[in-house]
Amino acid sequence: MPSPSVPRRSLLRGALGAGALVAAGPLAGCAPGTTTSPPRKLSGTPSASAKGEITIWNRSGDLFKVFDKAIDAFRRAHPNVTVHHLAVDIDSKLANTLITGTDLPDGSFWDDAKIGSQAEHLYDLTDLIAPYRAQTSAYKLSVNTVDGRIYGVPWDLDPGLLWYREDLLQDAGVDPAGLKTYDDLLAAARSLKEKNPAARPIHMEKDPFLGQLWLEMLANQQGTSLADAQGKVRLDSAEYRRILTWIRSAVDDKLVTHAEYLKQADLAALENGQQALVPWAVWWSFAPQQLLKKTRGRWRATQLPAWTPGGARSGAMGGSSFIIPAKAKNPELAWMLYEFLCFKQPGYTAVYGPSSVYPDGLNTSVPSYTPARRPDKPLFEPVAALGGQNLWRTAVDAAAGIPAAAPIPAWWTKSVDYLGNNLQRLMEGSMRPDDVIDDSTRKIQRNLVDRA
Amino acid sequence: MTHATLAAPRRPRTAAPAPPGTRRRRRLFLTPYVFVAPFYVVFAAFGLYPLVFALQLSFTNWKGAGEARFVGLDNYTYLLTSEEFWSSLANSGVMWLLIVPVQIVGGLAVAVLLANARLRLRGMFRVAFIAPFVTPLVAMAQVWIVAFDKDYGLVNHLLHLVGLPDVDWLTSTAWAKPTLALLFLWKTTGFAIIVLLAGLQSVPGDVYEAAALDGASRLRQFWSLTLPLVRRSIAFLVVVQTLAVFQMFAEPFVVTKGGPYGSTTTGGLYLYNHITASDLGTGAANSFLLVLLVFALSLLSVRLLRSRDE
Repeated sequence: MPSPSVPRRSLLRGALGAGALVAAGPLAGCAPGTTTSPPRKLSGTPSASAKGEITIWNRSGDLFKVFDKAIDAFRRAHPNVTVHHLAVDIDSKLANTLITGTDLPDGSFWDDAKIGSQAEHLYDLTDLIAPYRAQTSAYKLSVNTVDGRIYGVPWDLDPGLLWYREDLLQDAGVDPAGLKTYDDLLAAARSLKEKNPAARPIHMEKDPFLGQLWLEMLANQQGTSLADAQGKVRLDSAEYRRILTWIRSAVDDKLVTHAEYLKQADLAALENGQQALVPWAVWWSFAPQQLLKKTRGRWRATQLPAWTPGGARSGAMGGSSFIIPAKAKNPELAWMLYEFLCFKQPGYTAVYGPSSVYPDGLNTSVPSYTPARRPDKPLFEPVAALGGQNLWRTAVDAAAGIPAAAPIPAWWTKSVDYLGNNLQRLMEGSMRPDDVIDDSTRKIQRNLVDRA
Repeated sequence: MTHATLAAPRRPRTAAPAPPGTRRRRRLFLTPYVFVAPFYVVFAAFGLYPLVFALQLSFTNWKGAGEARFVGLDNYTYLLTSEEFWSSLANSGVMWLLIVPVQIVGGLAVAVLLANARLRLRGMFRVAFIAPFVTPLVAMAQVWIVAFDKDYGLVNHLLHLVGLPDVDWLTSTAWAKPTLALLFLWKTTGFAIIVLLAGLQSVPGDVYEAAALDGASRLRQFWSLTLPLVRRSIAFLVVVQTLAVFQMFAEPFVVTKGGPYGSTTTGGLYLYNHITASDLGTGAANSFLLVLLVFALSLLSVRLLRSRDE
């Protein structure tokens, strides 16, 4: 039988070509060498009779509906301004859109952690925010500041709180008011474990990203953060060592439930009494309201313990702001909308107050603007799922004590590959605090800071 | 002489129309180029240009915006001295070992069964084996996430039924790679079966009849006839699947996000991570290193599978 000709060389050439094309494919369509103009300053405020159209991007879901109602209030106050409010997958679209400069919105909601890395594509809002600066959370201003200029309109503030099962603490003879330091928290966890040997009372986060965000909340509480204002890594510090040592001792004493945030294993441990102490942001309030059917009404919130006697009782965990792209068509009108939402009483009340979406109000964060979070003027109602607790009071008291931080570096999210992963190893008991600090610092410096 | 026949006629000094024969010859000369031109235009736009562009990019520090600064071999040096880069290649290497040999052996076994004309319900079996190949990967990946969940997954539930303990399929460094390899096998073995089945069916039946007359057993026929005659199909599969494994992206991206602790960050996912971090120069350099590696592995595979008489 005649043998067919051997197409080996062609095959290999094809394989090489296909490999190259597939590997190079994702890079097509970009063009190096395109220059961007220096950040533009927005300083003029339009008159009340200004008119025009703006496109505003927001997240989808319930929050979009809430903002839609608030934007309706803006439309009523400014009938000549047409607002196109769109639900968009901001995380995947906004950064690319800012870089390419096409189909840009006039304003968008965005995570604080992402603003610093795209400052060159955003309007400098320092002058416009100046009148409100003294009354805005120092933390929020600091995370939106790059080289002394502010690029985001501070929106929500997310204070860390200590969530606890009131019934279980009572049974174990623990007074929540006595949880003043993190050592007190460990002692409370030991008491709970004595009462129920199966208990692993303290939640520790298994998702590396959320775990690192949580670590930053504990660091912020002590007035520090992963990078200083110049972008220098400052993990090798007494503050971080204190946190990591505390985590390791809780792990060694088997006081920890290591589970992913509100995934099934976490929910089961929260419902069956295995977990009773959850140091987490105010947005954990979602859990007893929506997910914890069995223990609904038994959870309460108080301020976080302090790291040192008399120290700050809260830190921020996450948060978002509003940005205006440098190439927006109507930046002045976008600012007018954001000024209304953030700094004007009808605006922030429309978002946080009772609505058809949230009948008791939006209670997963508090405003960054101090006049909007007066303890005696709650924007949202007491929470039935927390036994009718006045969560507003607890949250705004905590928010008032959040220390300032530093801008979140552009490489923060990528640093999860190093610090976030090492934190998980610590929580699993396979790494020591000093190793976490040394290894993470070295890798972040080499792979992220030096190549920024 | 052919050369003389194809030589262009002298252009007349006046603007008089060319004689009909000349026009026809010119048309005949240009026609094939017109037919192949669309391919070359598309190839130049979407193949050649991105390739040259990526090569240029790999020597810069471009972040997706602003000026691109020439950095020489810095991106390549960085990658070749990076723990993560070598770790991603090692992960892909382990995946290759878990996937390609199993797929070739398993695929060949199934193809031999399906090639047997006496097999009942042959059509149904063919559809069953090939169905995963045409199912969207993301849908299958979601099924994997649910089925292999440590606490609530079907697989651990079945292990419980026979008295075995839970396995941390997706979140332990020991099991995440085999679990992803299984997904890849599930998805792509249908393709291997199609290729091998085509190879088997191209073997003429009289070869086997002659071997049977010579008294060769079934096993002997498989070793001495079937295997050598489908060798080229196997070589093709090894090359194609080596490419696919080293560029594997969607499986770890959807199921494990490259974790736990980077243990499922494959070459393809590591490359993607550079791009999403706007480190496009390093991403481009990574893609060329990956191409070189895949090319070397493909060459090695083909040489190993080449018969002595070739």
